[in-house]
Amino acid sequence: MTPDLTSLTRRSLLALAGAGLAAASFPARLSAQSGKILIIASNQDIPNFDPHTASGYSAAFLLRNVYDPLVRVSGNPPEAVPGLAESWQVSEDGTEYTFNLNPEATFHSGNKVTADDVVYSFTRAAGLAKGNSWMIRDIVDPGRIEAVDEGTVKFTLAMPFAAFLAVLPWQFIVEKAAVEANLGEDQGQTWLMTNVAGSGPFTVARYEPGTLYQLARAENAWQPGGGNLDGVIWQLLRETATQRLALQRGEVHIAVDLTSEDMDALEGAPGVVRIIEPEYRTFSIKMNTESGPLSDINLRKAVSYAVNYEALVEAAGYAELMVGPLPNGILGHNPDLDVPRQDLEKAKEYLAQSEHPDGGITLRMVHVTGLEQQRRFSLIMLDSLKALNIDLEIQPMAWPDMVAASASPETFPDFFPVYQTANYGDPDNIAFAAYHSASNGNWQNAVYSSPEVDALIEEGRTTIDPDARVEIYRRFQEAVVADAPDVFGVLEMRKLAMREAVENYNFTPVASNAIYCWPLSLN
Amino acid sequence: MLLFLVRRILLLIPVIIGLTIIMFAIARLLPGDPVGLAAGPNATQVEREALAQEFGLDRPVWGQYATYVTGLMQGDLGRSLLTRRPVAADIASYLPATLELVFAAMAIAIVVGVPLGLLTAIWRNRWPDYLSQVVAIGAISMPRFFLGLLLQLVFAMWLLWLPLGGRLPIVVMPPPFVTGFITVDALIAGDFSTFVTALKHLAMPAIALSLSPLATIMRMMRSSSIEVMAQDYVMTARALGLPRRKILTRAIARNAFSATLTVIGLYFGWLLGGTVLVETVFDWPGLGLYATKAIVSQDMMPVIGVALVIGLIFVMANLLIDLAYGLINPKVRYA
Amino acid sequence: MSDVADISMPHAEAAPRREGLARGWFRFRQSRLSMVGAALTFVVLFFAVFGMMLAPYPEHVAGGIETGLRFLPPSWAHPFGTNELGQDVLSLTMAGTTVSVLAGFGVVLIGTLIGTVMGGIAGFAGGWLDEILMRFTDLTLTIPSLILAMAIAAALGPGFENMVLAISLSWWPGYARLVRGEVIGAREEVYVTAARAIGASPTRVLFRHILPNCVSPIIVKMSLDMGFAILTVAGLGFIGIGVRPPTPEWGTMLSNARSYMPDIWWTAMAPGTAMFLTVVGFNLLGDGLRDILDPKGRR
Repeated sequence: MTPDLTSLTRRSLLALAGAGLAAASFPARLSAQSGKILIIASNQDIPNFDPHTASGYSAAFLLRNVYDPLVRVSGNPPEAVPGLAESWQVSEDGTEYTFNLNPEATFHSGNKVTADDVVYSFTRAAGLAKGNSWMIRDIVDPGRIEAVDEGTVKFTLAMPFAAFLAVLPWQFIVEKAAVEANLGEDQGQTWLMTNVAGSGPFTVARYEPGTLYQLARAENAWQPGGGNLDGVIWQLLRETATQRLALQRGEVHIAVDLTSEDMDALEGAPGVVRIIEPEYRTFSIKMNTESGPLSDINLRKAVSYAVNYEALVEAAGYAELMVGPLPNGILGHNPDLDVPRQDLEKAKEYLAQSEHPDGGITLRMVHVTGLEQQRRFSLIMLDSLKALNIDLEIQPMAWPDMVAASASPETFPDFFPVYQTANYGDPDNIAFAAYHSASNGNWQNAVYSSPEVDALIEEGRTTIDPDARVEIYRRFQEAVVADAPDVFGVLEMRKLAMREAVENYNFTPVASNAIYCWPLSLN
Repeated sequence: MLLFLVRRILLLIPVIIGLTIIMFAIARLLPGDPVGLAAGPNATQVEREALAQEFGLDRPVWGQYATYVTGLMQGDLGRSLLTRRPVAADIASYLPATLELVFAAMAIAIVVGVPLGLLTAIWRNRWPDYLSQVVAIGAISMPRFFLGLLLQLVFAMWLLWLPLGGRLPIVVMPPPFVTGFITVDALIAGDFSTFVTALKHLAMPAIALSLSPLATIMRMMRSSSIEVMAQDYVMTARALGLPRRKILTRAIARNAFSATLTVIGLYFGWLLGGTVLVETVFDWPGLGLYATKAIVSQDMMPVIGVALVIGLIFVMANLLIDLAYGLINPKVRYA
Repeated sequence: MSDVADISMPHAEAAPRREGLARGWFRFRQSRLSMVGAALTFVVLFFAVFGMMLAPYPEHVAGGIETGLRFLPPSWAHPFGTNELGQDVLSLTMAGTTVSVLAGFGVVLIGTLIGTVMGGIAGFAGGWLDEILMRFTDLTLTIPSLILAMAIAAALGPGFENMVLAISLSWWPGYARLVRGEVIGAREEVYVTAARAIGASPTRVLFRHILPNCVSPIIVKMSLDMGFAILTVAGLGFIGIGVRPPTPEWGTMLSNARSYMPDIWWTAMAPGTAMFLTVVGFNLLGDGLRDILDPKGRR
């Protein structure tokens, strides 16, 4: 569309302008001329491209499309499927994993992916200790990863780890030769920040930080089962309402940050498919079990029975109430667990047994500045606690200040709302991070510590037999509920919406907003 | 004239030093934990220390400042703690968007405001004058972000005439970089359809931003025209029977406009810093949005850089206005 | 930077002041727009004092919620509908007046105090002190004020006092320049020379003789600035670095409402309109006051 303006009459110019207007209003129609490009709207910028330092779901989106892990996660419930490794064997005791690499696998440079690259990648990740490396910290010792031959690599774990295959999808393999050629003084971090040395089905084609990231199908994409996409664009649209409207107008194909209100507005919208699925993402409000008024278990129980759980669900929209500490539906979760529900009689009974039988105190709740859902939950807490004659002071805080406040029981506020996203689909993920005393001083579990619960968590993560684990986690849930360290909140559904034109999409309840685009097609 | 220029440009140096000192003081002396924010929730103490060391945040403020100024002399504005990208490059890519928006808003304000001010001066104390006075007060008082939301609601959400935000739809490749203004670059490239598309994206944010300078320019133009009309030479010209139109354009407009010019200069700098809210509403990828994001994550290098660049442009704009003042009004002498 | 021509004028002496006031009031009443401004400002101040008490749903103002009644469209019970937590938007908007007016006033007041001290000292002392203080003032003027206020507010954390302080710190330079101009003008006036001649101390001269005569232009500027201070407060709230919940604040309400457009548009209307009318009121009042108190200030 680059007409020669000099030869045009005024009338034809106006006609042309009209045509331009029509086309500009619905630019998605233009996409036919630029190939099959899938556009995803997100509000999170991609911080950097280094698979061993980047974190956050936007980075996860980029990395899982331009890099390959040994195994990928797919299906619902999620399970490990081949990635770079076409098959693997696990030893009886669960400490030895042997992976056979797919002989087809090649990097974008055209070189074959070898066992050497795998060893190099895990060593680099462990050395940098950033990004996703915490998932395998103390489990994988880089010295005990062995390149058996060019296409075989063997891991000997420091201890049995039931969730090992579940964390592998987030450990990406870089091309050793390419990184070593650009090592610099920081292990190639500067170079990898804006360059890609991977084998994934896509490469980075162009990017404008703060605006868009465009991926293009790799010329030598070797992965089986691909769709018809020529490229993918990660477009930044900060407001969820903007994402929703862009989707309705056909300007984007998928929106990943929608709120419940957006989903309601999209109900019945022509050409739009809504995906509302449970995911392992818990929201609960931690209480200060060690210091201040809430160190009194009776007061904690009183609070637990005073909370308006109905309002929590209503304010969260597409969500369900948590039943105990573990996400509903995960291995070992007990849906019949006896957990507190709003019951003011009981609340007042417990309050009467506490040190403040008539209330009359002010408690402090913090929340992350700008997180709308947390602001709503704070107001619900304020409203609920009025029934106990307890005042609530709400203090929005920047996230790092909240992290800093978790350092000791004295600085930890009375109420501390926390989202826990299962980075891998195993109960150990949330149990260990949120209830084991090893994380005391960290935001996941700043203060709560119980030897009984600790022992159960440790037993659970080193046991391989699923039936035995279910029993262990049943006892774990009962022990935690008895201590009432948290107000168990809600599990928010994952809320995605996409155009009907997107084909072959299958939901997996792990990091489903970081969409793996290879199987998708556009019609 | 030349001496005047050299002197004014030399005066920029203390401005730069002063600006950086003030911004540095704010960045470093206020509470907050930028390293914690940048390192992320799963970072260990060792990682945080490494990050602080990498960015020199473990050193005393004066040492950091010295490093910053040394870098500044080579055009280096430091690196963002959050993205690790160089601030100078970031600003270079965001600045054209903001400038395009501000120029568009100023153009609307001048093209509409100057003639309107002149007309209301001629119709002084008649109903169009009163009406425009009331509208002007309303325009100055309207919160730009509320106006932006209303425009968006009506034209982008209900009528679907205009896009919601951004500079171009994502599937449209921006024209080759010449000025950084997508509208201008599209015309240079002869790509008329991209030009129209870019113009549609520009329309609402520019209008939302233009309202308050428009009203001010109009009021300014009105009062200085009234003043000029009472001057002897206009009276003389009238008495001599010069055509009304000639008097208007030659005598009044010219003289009144030179007074209005100062306002335009002041507003230009003010608008550069005032785009923040409009850019937020319209997802306009400019300096305001960039600074907001950095501020929220307490990532201070970008904030210092943005303040410095806007401050400098502000000072330069006023210098240019002073020069332009002399061109319009030859009586002005540069001391 | 070009010095804005500062206004200085001989001020009415004590005796005819009453008469001047009467005449001023007459002129003020003549201007219909000024009267509209005064009326609007009166309404705003009325709500600032009584808004919380008069709100139809005071429990919502205190943070109460009714999640069963979310997003109700406007009706007799809720003239501006309900928000995402089932709170009555009208009640929140009425109560929000207090926060906005108090914050705006706080900003203008602190700005005036800092500015008066800086400008007073600079104008009175003259010489190198004047030079230094004014260079500093000019510098602060070149920093984009909203970005400066945002940076300070974000670092201090959300909260009413922090927000007011942050904006004030970017608000004073205008007053410093105004006061300095006035002081320099007054320094040479007859009564000041006389006071000096009879041996009054410099502090006494400054505070008893010079500054009182700068009051009218300062009041004019304060009333003109109130509207913009309120807008800036709302702007910070809109970006998300304003007050703490459950304090109702217009900018924060507007920012929340934005996420639910276009289907639920009414939650934005009440706070936006309230903001607009408040600022119109203060601007008209300021214009009117300028006409009677500071006739030469009209440009």
